[in-house]
Amino acid sequence: MKQILLITDGGSNVGDSPVVAAAQAYAEGITVNVAGIVDEGTIGEYGATEIAEIAKAGGGISRIVTSGQLSRTVQMMTRQTIAGSIRQAVNQELRQLFGVENVGALPPTKRSEVVKVMEEMEETMSLSVALLIDASASMKPKLHAVEEAIRDLTLSLQAREGKSQVAVFHYPGNSMDEICVLDSEWTTYASKIGTLFGKIRMKGTTPTGPAILQAVDYIRETCGNISSEPMDARQSSARSVSNGVRSDYVV
Amino acid sequence: MPPGTLLRGKWHGKTYRLEKLIGLGANGQVYLATSNGYKCAVKLGLDAADLQGEANILAALDHAEKKRRPFLLDVDDALIGGREVPFYIMRFVPGVPVNAFLQKHGAQWVGVVGYRLLERLVQLHEAGWVFGDIKSDNVLVGEYGKLELVDYGGMSAIGRSVRQFTEIYDRGYWSAGGRTADAAYDWFSVGMLWLHALDRKRLLHLTKTLLPQNRNPEELMKLVRSNSRLKPLESWLEKAFSGRFEDTRDAAKQWREAVQHPQKSKSQASGQVPVWMASLFAAAVVLSLSVAAVWLFQ
Repeated sequence: MKQILLITDGGSNVGDSPVVAAAQAYAEGITVNVAGIVDEGTIGEYGATEIAEIAKAGGGISRIVTSGQLSRTVQMMTRQTIAGSIRQAVNQELRQLFGVENVGALPPTKRSEVVKVMEEMEETMSLSVALLIDASASMKPKLHAVEEAIRDLTLSLQAREGKSQVAVFHYPGNSMDEICVLDSEWTTYASKIGTLFGKIRMKGTTPTGPAILQAVDYIRETCGNISSEPMDARQSSARSVSNGVRSDYVV
Repeated sequence: MPPGTLLRGKWHGKTYRLEKLIGLGANGQVYLATSNGYKCAVKLGLDAADLQGEANILAALDHAEKKRRPFLLDVDDALIGGREVPFYIMRFVPGVPVNAFLQKHGAQWVGVVGYRLLERLVQLHEAGWVFGDIKSDNVLVGEYGKLELVDYGGMSAIGRSVRQFTEIYDRGYWSAGGRTADAAYDWFSVGMLWLHALDRKRLLHLTKTLLPQNRNPEELMKLVRSNSRLKPLESWLEKAFSGRFEDTRDAAKQWREAVQHPQKSKSQASGQVPVWMASLFAAAVVLSLSVAAVWLFQ
């Protein structure tokens, strides 16, 4: 399973629409989650709407939190996304094989067996998370919290039985034609992620859309051709129930 | 949900009457309930698969520990206000969280409660499980320090990732190791449990002021060494924070020794002259010298 996790504090202001970019990512089998950080003041209606829209288009979850809550939120979103996509796939099978709507419609004894299989998959499926960090000027005071959250997430993923890897990007890059910078290539171990954002020169622009597309390129090039996961392919034919299911676990 | 609400199980047909809300979790609520006059605990959730995952853990635990009364009594769905709500029923466990117990009955109970906790963990660990989410709220203490663990949402098979944890009790948070379930993960949280119980203010202050990169067990040991109630546990806590017991039986054995024979620290104390005695002596010297001086200059 592939995920992009965008951490930002406001609206994009340069280049392609991030909502379209997230939809493109999802079409290539990559789920996009968004954590919006709001410390002092508000994130603004425009920023908040955009954050929600990006996640929706990317088939993921969005949350707006303070930097103190970031570690916990990032972990929770990553876990929920894994669980959610497995649940979707399993519900799909249940519909086709038994004609029941979802796991909850099974009697408790059968439910117990299905849930065991689902948890086994959650623990063992391989996972790649590309973290995409908005490093525009206003994010500067929050980068410590971001670094901490990345380290904490990696530590948790490292404990999973399945293969897990994390890569880190920040944007904007240092020059006009550099949209984003790869800070850390795929790694499994929290200890391998060095100091991330030591030398960043903070700039004002926020090219979120182009940055998402670049992360998609990186995932495509490094993880081989991403065949859309079966549940994504079938989703379109499966009425519009998938939306309802997804919002079920996004509490 | 108001007290008196009736849950009628859709699959197994049993009826439960909610009496009182006793806990709020991330994924549901726990009520005290009655069924045919018997007390039990009900966990109501939002998501059937989520709740079933927890019920599965309890069922596995009951299966592994057949000699005691089972925790899990029923799993079912009920129709409440037109919505289908999944729930499961547990044996009601009386008792209060360990911090509340110590506040009421005093810190002299730490030894017994701590020993019982480690004995419980010996059972879990030897059955191949790690509890994971050890914290005050999940360690209920009853009469005379009798103890039961509740909320098995964090329980994980050894070698898997820890399913649920609480930040300040977490080994990873304090850069003292990973989040793979092993016995040492629980030892660490037990150490934090006592630090939290006996030096809560300074621990919370530390978590607020310390930069993330400086969080490490040595900072915790500084608190231990400068607290008279934690000092006798120093060598036990040091081993808990660094995972240096042979196994959980060894941890329990060393705990018993630490709380029953705290002579080391006592004998050290008696070797030193108390401050009041030393200052009295100094005052006496000054007084006699000045008397001598007055006598000389006369």
